[in-house]
Amino acid sequence: MITLGNYIALSGIIFSIGLVGVMTGRNVIKVLLSLELLLAACNLSFVAFSKFNGDYAGQLIVFFVVLVAAAEVAIGLAIIVLMYRRLSTIQADELRTMKW
Amino acid sequence: MSPYFFYLFAAILIFASLVVVLARNPLYNVLALVVAIFSLSCLFVLLEAFFVGMVLLLVYAGAVMVFFLFVVMCLKLNTFTLENALQSRFRLYGTVVGLSFACLLGLAAKSFIKAQTMEASSIRGTIETIGKILFTDYVLPFELTSLLLLIAIFGIVSLAQGALGTGQDNKNL
Repeated sequence: MITLGNYIALSGIIFSIGLVGVMTGRNVIKVLLSLELLLAACNLSFVAFSKFNGDYAGQLIVFFVVLVAAAEVAIGLAIIVLMYRRLSTIQADELRTMKW
Repeated sequence: MSPYFFYLFAAILIFASLVVVLARNPLYNVLALVVAIFSLSCLFVLLEAFFVGMVLLLVYAGAVMVFFLFVVMCLKLNTFTLENALQSRFRLYGTVVGLSFACLLGLAAKSFIKAQTMEASSIRGTIETIGKILFTDYVLPFELTSLLLLIAIFGIVSLAQGALGTGQDNKNL
């Protein structure tokens, strides 16, 4: 029998993997992909809670999260392309111009 | 029947997200995220959230990931993926923080005893039920989301104009 605990544990595992990716990623694209993993983990726990609580609000929040994430990815990738044109690299450590 | 499917898709999801984080070629990262999103939407279908699962499949795996692939293929990244692997200052710290966060989440999940006994409700997130709620109770957030997408379009267009309109950066292409 699959309980709510299984889904929460799976969501926690995915969230931790994504967190490691965000913190260790030096490639900006990899950081953005790991952020998507974080969102996916949260979406999974939202849907699981929605199913086990009998409330549709969780699924609607997932719908909005997907839309916002699409906008975020579009802007983020535009910034990455600009960064590649200016600096010819996408390593996060090369972004030094805001340091002084 | 359902438990086996849960464990199958959970294993695929964990493996794919490990590939997302650990693989060195950015192309593999993106393709692994497509697999992860696919198995996530299969889990949504197991939870009877059909509409959200299909939205995830169409919007994420269909549109967003293709966008990622476009950018990865445009950027000619393969020349410096190897030097990327050699210098990993933050790898140790990041892994320690991630593992301790996983332990914390595990403790929190373990203390949530009610989760083991809760019964699954009979709600089914079909297009009909979700659409009814979306266009009655949640119509204001829905419209505001369209405004957000419009602002995102403005942002992307102004970013692209900054790169192409001045003519300075075109030399680098």
